[in-house]
Amino acid sequence: MLADRLNEDKFDRTLSQALQRHSEPVPAGFTAMVLRQVREVQEQRILARVVLQERLALAACIALAGLAIVVAAVFPEIAAAAFRGVTAGLTGQGEDLIDRIPLAVKALSGQWRLYSVLGAALGFAVYSLVELLVGDKATIA
Amino acid sequence: MAKELWQQEADWLSLLRSGDHNAFARFIDKYKELVFLCCRRLGLREDEAEDVASETFLAAYKALRRYRGQAELSTWLWSIAYRQAVNHLRKNRRQRQLEVEPDEEIASNREQAPAAALQAEEQQEIVWQAVDRLPRLWAMAVILHYREEKSIADIAKIMAARENTVKTYLFRGRERLKQMLGRAFGEATDVSR
Repeated sequence: MLADRLNEDKFDRTLSQALQRHSEPVPAGFTAMVLRQVREVQEQRILARVVLQERLALAACIALAGLAIVVAAVFPEIAAAAFRGVTAGLTGQGEDLIDRIPLAVKALSGQWRLYSVLGAALGFAVYSLVELLVGDKATIA
Repeated sequence: MAKELWQQEADWLSLLRSGDHNAFARFIDKYKELVFLCCRRLGLREDEAEDVASETFLAAYKALRRYRGQAELSTWLWSIAYRQAVNHLRKNRRQRQLEVEPDEEIASNREQAPAAALQAEEQQEIVWQAVDRLPRLWAMAVILHYREEKSIADIAKIMAARENTVKTYLFRGRERLKQMLGRAFGEATDVSR
């Protein structure tokens, strides 16, 4: 029994020693190659971050413009009040102009052509947003 | 002295996590053999092994910030290398080769030498040839246990397997190696009985 155990231990030891002595060959220049890839990954990350920031900025511009059009078209009174509120503290000179906006909208109500154009513009804005945020055209691979 | 070494290691790790290129170059130099060993033992061809090894280091680079020392660094890297290699085989529909024994053709000219006292180099050669003839998963468990001195729990983590499965791989691998190496080591260890 003890002899068996000793032999087993000796086998394990011999196996360990033989395996540990081995040195695995590695292609020359491997470290430099991986470091080059790491640098490329870092550059791509930076580029992707810049592109994302640009996309978000552009998306915000489009969304804000779209929102302003929708508010002005659907809630002219609220839009006028908001504009008035913003400008009242600064100057009273623009009031006339602002007052004209809801009036103009009212005058233009029933003009389905105008609403069609507005709808198309909004549709395009939404499409642009989706394209900018999830489209693959500008993806950094 | 030990404290200094530990401090150096800690500094190096924090540099690694911060994305320092020199620290990462040292990391690659220290562990590239291990990664190639893993890739080749799982049966990847030379070009595949190089690709998977570099993918492993890139994956490690991306994940280093999240490494919190929950496992030894080498164990952590082994698990990434193992996963990358197995995923590569799976992608190429070759995962079956992990279970089966390597082609006899590969090992046909690797019969053991007579039982005369073997030089260390010859012994090492014969042992590796025998390990190469084991099914890949058994070979992996044997290498991790006997070469890398990993615990069963660590091997289970690396191979994403249950501890009992690892024990089975190890037991079977060792038994097969005893059969194969019995003649070569017969005089030294008398394991062929």
